[in-house]
Amino acid sequence: MTLENSETNKSDIMVRVVNIKKKFGDLEVLKGINFQVTRGEVICIIGPSGSGKSTMLRCLNQLERITDGEIYVEEELMDKRKNDKTITHIDNDRLQSLRCDLGMVFQNFNLFPHLTVLENVTIAPRIVKKADISEINQRGLELLDMIGLKEKADEFPVRLSGGQQQRVAIARALAMDPKIMLFDEPTSALDPELVGEVLETMKNLANDGMTMIIVTHEIGFAREVADRVIFMDDGFICESGTPEEVILNPREERTQSFLNKIL
Amino acid sequence: MLNSTQLWAIVNGTIVTLEIAIVAIIFGAIFGIIVALGRISKNKIANGLSWFYIWFFRGTPLLLQLFMIFYAVPIIYLNATGKTFQIDPMICAFITFSLNSTAYLAEIIRSAIESIDHGQMEAAKALGMNYHQAMMKIIIPQTFKRLVAPIGNELIMLLKDTSLVSTIALFDLLRTVKTMASATGNWIYYVYAAVVYLFLTTILQVLFDKLEMKFGIYEKR
Repeated sequence: MTLENSETNKSDIMVRVVNIKKKFGDLEVLKGINFQVTRGEVICIIGPSGSGKSTMLRCLNQLERITDGEIYVEEELMDKRKNDKTITHIDNDRLQSLRCDLGMVFQNFNLFPHLTVLENVTIAPRIVKKADISEINQRGLELLDMIGLKEKADEFPVRLSGGQQQRVAIARALAMDPKIMLFDEPTSALDPELVGEVLETMKNLANDGMTMIIVTHEIGFAREVADRVIFMDDGFICESGTPEEVILNPREERTQSFLNKIL
Repeated sequence: MLNSTQLWAIVNGTIVTLEIAIVAIIFGAIFGIIVALGRISKNKIANGLSWFYIWFFRGTPLLLQLFMIFYAVPIIYLNATGKTFQIDPMICAFITFSLNSTAYLAEIIRSAIESIDHGQMEAAKALGMNYHQAMMKIIIPQTFKRLVAPIGNELIMLLKDTSLVSTIALFDLLRTVKTMASATGNWIYYVYAAVVYLFLTTILQVLFDKLEMKFGIYEKR
């Protein structure tokens, strides 16, 4: 991988991973991944299922621990492991603040069903950041207004459509003021007619300058919004470049055959 | 019909029955949470201890546990210290029933916690919550609705199992009516006891149905 751009200002590197590997028992899902993300960049990761896309994303905020390699967030070392052993120990407080920097949106939304929409958005700032309640609620309502669901503030998630739930999940992640947003197939569990509203919300976020890493099957969206597209296959990054390069003129045969199948 | 002495005896017997059941369900729930958390903990010692606790108290008869504490503990104490000591039967009943219901409730609570979708813990962690915060604010509150029915079940079982305390010289509802029945040769006293048991369990059933609705409010579409 030669993604390192020598002109990139060092302080603008938001995430950098060095040769990360992930094994589940004997199964090696990530086989040595290198890449970095600069501030404001929108990266779409595409690839067949089982290629390690979601695992890679989950390793970034340590929902899964890597077995080898290094992860840096804003050039601060967040994890360094070798043969499933931790080389540098990160304490829990730091891990927690790291997770606050990386907002995550899941395929199945994972909204908290026992809390109202507004409570879903405000609970993490309330108990993790312990900020002023009225400020948190104010900010929560602003976020709901931004995603166009302010009038649903007091509803429980079960009464929302899938698309609305996913938009709330985005607002919930944004409430922690993350520096980077991770999206794990955010539209895969949605009915086709609901995909658009979620992509629209994400597009607005991208236009606001948010740094985003998106695992997706929405090739059209990737083409339109991504600054860079990464094609993963079999635990490796197979190809990476601008949407024009990867989607319109793929160099690698595997990228071509994958795109032929889904387009 | 009942004279007033008999009526008061039945009321007192009912109170004994209720006291034991209520004390046992409260302490059982509190310690049950702790034992349940031990069972799902990755800490081997906590896990092993709680496994052993549940194994013992579910695997032996409640009556045996009652005898162990009422008869065996004072003898062990005597042998160890040379001093005699007598457990108050009511205290003994509180302790035994609480220890026993802790084991059952721990399993109920454990399975309720494990039935919550794994994505909930992941979402909580991704938002920066630690394990403790995620458990207290996200996972455990979602178990309430799922706990109501089995805890109601356990409470009704407890209420009826309290009749075992007649063996340690306590006058609960059943023993009270049995004494009356054998003194007078009239079986009707058993019917009175059945009516009281049914009255209490009906109240519990209605109450727990209401609770289930209340805790499940967020699942209504």
